[in-house]
Amino acid sequence: MASENLLEIKALQTYFHTEAGKVSAVDGVSLAVGAGEIVGIVGESGCGKSVTAQSILRLLDEKSQASYSGEVYFEGVDLLKLSQRQMRGVRGNDISMIFQDPLSSLNPLLTIGEQITETIRSHRKFSRKNAWQEAVRLLRLTGIPAPERRVHEYPHQLSGGMRQRVMIAIALACEPKLLIADEPTTALDVTIQAQIMDLIAKLNRELGMSVLLITHDLGVVAEVCHRVAVMYAGQIVETADVATLFREPQHPYTIGLLQSIPSLDRDRTKPLQAVEGFVPALHQLPKGCRFAPRCPHADALCRTEMPLLESKGSSGSQARCWHSEALSQKEAVRHA
Amino acid sequence: MVIYILRRLLALVPVVLIMSIVVFLIIYLIPGDPARVMLGDGADESTIQELRQQMGLNYPLLEQYGRWIGNAVQGDLGRSFFLQQPVSTAIREHLAPTLSLALFAQFIAVLIAIPLGVRAAVNRGGLADKTLNAYSLLGISVPGFLLSLFFVLVFAVRLKWFPVSGYAPLHEGLGSFLKFMFLPALSIGIVMSSLTARIVKASMLEVLHEGFVKTALSKGLRQNTIIYKHVLRNALIPILTVVGGSFGTLVAGAAVIETIFNIPGLGQMLVHAVERRDYAVIQGMVLFIAIVYVAVNLAVDLLYAVVDPRIRLQ
Repeated sequence: MASENLLEIKALQTYFHTEAGKVSAVDGVSLAVGAGEIVGIVGESGCGKSVTAQSILRLLDEKSQASYSGEVYFEGVDLLKLSQRQMRGVRGNDISMIFQDPLSSLNPLLTIGEQITETIRSHRKFSRKNAWQEAVRLLRLTGIPAPERRVHEYPHQLSGGMRQRVMIAIALACEPKLLIADEPTTALDVTIQAQIMDLIAKLNRELGMSVLLITHDLGVVAEVCHRVAVMYAGQIVETADVATLFREPQHPYTIGLLQSIPSLDRDRTKPLQAVEGFVPALHQLPKGCRFAPRCPHADALCRTEMPLLESKGSSGSQARCWHSEALSQKEAVRHA
Repeated sequence: MVIYILRRLLALVPVVLIMSIVVFLIIYLIPGDPARVMLGDGADESTIQELRQQMGLNYPLLEQYGRWIGNAVQGDLGRSFFLQQPVSTAIREHLAPTLSLALFAQFIAVLIAIPLGVRAAVNRGGLADKTLNAYSLLGISVPGFLLSLFFVLVFAVRLKWFPVSGYAPLHEGLGSFLKFMFLPALSIGIVMSSLTARIVKASMLEVLHEGFVKTALSKGLRQNTIIYKHVLRNALIPILTVVGGSFGTLVAGAAVIETIFNIPGLGQMLVHAVERRDYAVIQGMVLFIAIVYVAVNLAVDLLYAVVDPRIRLQ
């Protein structure tokens, strides 16, 4: 497979084997991340964005709980076809991942240095001493003050922001080509959130490392991402470059998400627009468009036939909606 | 860390004090005059009075306690009327067999429980898990004495691999020591491991859901590194508690097993002392056992701090 894309997900299905039967948490997701690119996946809790991220590194329990189909090409190699042993060589080495809550993501009983060096030493031939020097360098790179001292400390001795920096230092240990950041700022204070996002953007610029950013925060997407995919109930409902998505959203769900962002110049006499209702449960998905039950524009067609992800408009965005053309015209009229 | 140890030690003082009072009062909780009970029905009044004097029973209660505890602090637990030796000497003589049996049995228990519990947790519903379920059901429901009699029948009487009973101290050679110790230690070890393995599994399962396990996986670490370095270490605190508790029980003397295998340990000594109403021995031993429990708990507390930096660095 010849491709300039670093990561190319094709029709990925991730199934969970539950007592109620097999459900697909990720349903036919196709997504590409180019070299040096930051791609965002946005959606509500339970939409399958984290599962998509974990499917790339195959972190789900394949023995009893999960299985995959489709293809996940990384540098032309289908990760879903690799053995567990080969997969181990990819994890933390070619592709690294950071998680939502840096406290629970770090082992409380091991020093920061130990947690960084064990990654280095499991992929590279480093002496213990060199690995520790490398750990100090990585901590300095992620902006941790006094890294020579911090390297000997335990996670509980650090603040939340510092812990996430440590997670990033661990992720950078083997100079991965792709960093998957699964809601890296959700558990942090707002001021710290900005610092962490700046750090990720800086590492992307300076190291040329691609980033797949999972978030529910469109503000974060607008700031750092180049392209974005919006997920709903296990499917991508819209994908576009960031500017296009914010300027000409095609899918009613995206429009809903954008309207639910509070801004300073909005009319405060009106309540903030929210997307009504809930994400449907995986074992009782609607027959037609999955967003139809919550969609203000849904009609009979939407309730019976599932729309495909198709190119819309002139700016190369794709959306999964029967009515997006009509809707975007209405949007345009409303804004005019 | 120093403060942590000091605080733990300080907390022990009232515990030991209260225990000593309870232990001392044991003698008065049993109906009848201790001296009369000890000497039996045929004893004449003057002998009884002499023994009362010797045991200090004629002093006021508080003074008796004062004398007893004062001596106990100096390591003098009184003299056994039946053994014709100081209680502390008797305890010391019987301690070595019990302690070595306890250590050996504990070693076997941990050797079985950790790998079994770990495998069962990692591969839920798999072979190890099913084995654990059957094993622990058996271990909990079959009493230790039955198991040991079975082992004696098979391995000692039929196969003649091990002696039927007896004890050889360690300083007379490791080979004979192990030969005598193996069957009793195995009997206790199996019963203990069935409980410990369940705790290992439960504790492992809890830690397996933690976020850092996913981090460890995403770092590309080997499965065994993840399981033993990351998960088991974090699961260790409940395991230490159970192991410590069962070790304390063992040092108090496994009376039944010691009797079956005729090991001259503390359990046997205590049973004989109770049979003979040897009050000085009973008091001394109960106090000793209580102190052993306290010491084991202290050791477990200190081990928590070794395992967990959050406790150590408080």
